[in-house]
Amino acid sequence: MPKRRDIVAFVLIVLPWTLLITVWHQNTVTPLLSTRKDDRRLGRSNSRNTFAFKESCSHQNRDMVEVERTEFVYSRPPPWSDVLPTIHIITPTYSRSVQKAELTRLANTFLHVPNLHWILVEDSQRRTTLVSNLLQETGLNYTHLNVETPRNYKVRGDTKDPRIPRGTIQRNLAVRWLRETFSENSIQTGVVYFADDDNTYSLELFEEMRYTKKVSVWPVAFVGGLRYESPKVNTLGKVYGWKTVFDPHRPFAIDMAGFAVNLRLILSNPQAFFKLRGVKGGYQESSLLKELVILSDLEPKAANCTKVLVWHTRTEKPVLVNEGKKGFTDSNVEI
Amino acid sequence: MKSVFFSRFFILLPWVLIVIIMIDIDSKRAIRTPGVGRTGRVQRAARTGTPGGTGTQNQSALPVIYAITPTYTRPVQKAELTRLSHAFRQVPRLHWIVVEDSTTNTELVARFLARCGVPYTHLHVFTPRRFKRTGMPRATEQRNAALTWLRQHRNRRDTGVVFFADDDNTYSLELFEEMRSTRGVSVWPVGFVGGRAYERPLVSGGKVVGWYTGWRPDRPFATDMAGFAVNLQVILANPRAQFKRRGSQPGMQESDFLKQITKVTELEPKAKNCTRVLVWHTRTEKPHLANEPKHRKDTVVIEV
Repeated sequence: MPKRRDIVAFVLIVLPWTLLITVWHQNTVTPLLSTRKDDRRLGRSNSRNTFAFKESCSHQNRDMVEVERTEFVYSRPPPWSDVLPTIHIITPTYSRSVQKAELTRLANTFLHVPNLHWILVEDSQRRTTLVSNLLQETGLNYTHLNVETPRNYKVRGDTKDPRIPRGTIQRNLAVRWLRETFSENSIQTGVVYFADDDNTYSLELFEEMRYTKKVSVWPVAFVGGLRYESPKVNTLGKVYGWKTVFDPHRPFAIDMAGFAVNLRLILSNPQAFFKLRGVKGGYQESSLLKELVILSDLEPKAANCTKVLVWHTRTEKPVLVNEGKKGFTDSNVEI
Repeated sequence: MKSVFFSRFFILLPWVLIVIIMIDIDSKRAIRTPGVGRTGRVQRAARTGTPGGTGTQNQSALPVIYAITPTYTRPVQKAELTRLSHAFRQVPRLHWIVVEDSTTNTELVARFLARCGVPYTHLHVFTPRRFKRTGMPRATEQRNAALTWLRQHRNRRDTGVVFFADDDNTYSLELFEEMRSTRGVSVWPVGFVGGRAYERPLVSGGKVVGWYTGWRPDRPFATDMAGFAVNLQVILANPRAQFKRRGSQPGMQESDFLKQITKVTELEPKAKNCTRVLVWHTRTEKPHLANEPKHRKDTVVIEV
């Protein structure tokens, strides 16, 4: 019959050691999660700004989906986790003066998102050095593709004509790349999101879309001539319509930045692409989505579509009158 | 006797280790400063927050970068501040001073700053409408309010660099590391200003000798607000240096300010002798809101 004092002594010895071991285990597991997937696609920053990541709250788990990000992120990008679904971001881009600025601030945003894979598709004959260097320096996990839009499809003059969908060929190429790279039966979980390079994305958005089962939707600001457009959600949490002024009877009256698709759905519907010809203005998104999902299967995010987490901002064309016909500034200086 | 001693020792040892570790964690955690509400004579109130933890010992030696951002309410305000915060969150030892052109600290900005992940100070000062005509300098009162705050809350022992970060520009992360070593006033190229692809100081022998710009190269300091940074001590040593409102010509704000605190010969060129563009003066289009109803028709109120 063990004495009471012995039991107390035993507990006093075992308890602190178990506490120590759990704390030590948590602190050492997170650095181990930085296993990388494919070296070929990696762009890892090898220079400055690799300050050691110091998080004083040891109980703040890396795998937590809730985004109350008040900690400082000094190690960029966050270490790859084997449990989080990957977010594949497809961004078509084209050369113009503000391209580097736009991609820089996109990268600044993406560097905060764990398990992000950036698929950047240039509208060009060759992959430009500007974009290649930028991607390498960010340290993000990326894939750099390019395909040139044939001249008869290109937008003439400025971009205000809505009937010619810009970036379509590039997006389709990225979708095809995904189908060639990932097999339908792979265990990789993932979400595909079409992110244009001049929009603004909050970090919360990525955590909302990460666990999409089929297609998820949310409001987008500054589209359709409104402060925001959003899906109509009923009390059962199902989408039944669209709160827009511009053609609300479209099958999917939503902007490119307003939905995300589960990777498996993309892979299991190899015929689904963005339609190129004969697409009315505002119907591009519908041309893809109607091949993938029906209205009642849509998953509303952002608190049942009551919060705005993405803004369809547009950057002004910079005033370059003083460059003159031949260009005044040194063209070797990259902007 | 010995066994008793050993058993006591082994019981105490883990507890001592735990206490040491807790003390170590506590010393690294930042001390939360409670929100201070102070009403000055000129309708200003300050609210300072330091969310999250701070860096380790070797980072506390880095000079703090004070980014002064004047902002005003318009539809794209939250979007602009969001992407600005994404850049700032990556920069260690950065303190964001946001000054609203408003009579109070607005809820939108206050709520945004509380979750932005950057140490911040939230100020406001209202610019009267008569100063808001085209051609007049903008955000003068807001920048001066931030400078006054710095002069009141920082002293000769603090190291830092002050930088004016407008909320619609684009900043690369490299820029902040370039400016951190500023001893006096440093300058660098800025994209998309002066009607050109970029504007830059001309450098020879490590010193600024002129200005490469498309607009009024006769300005004493032909640079943009985003093209220079000032060491904190220089700001403190020149307590009367302010952005001028009276008698100021359009486009001369930077020159009028800089000539109060430095000379062209003392400027420090950054960004590889001013040959690289690390900041772009982008401007965001006004969004098309033609379909907004005159009176609110939606059942919910959503912040954009």
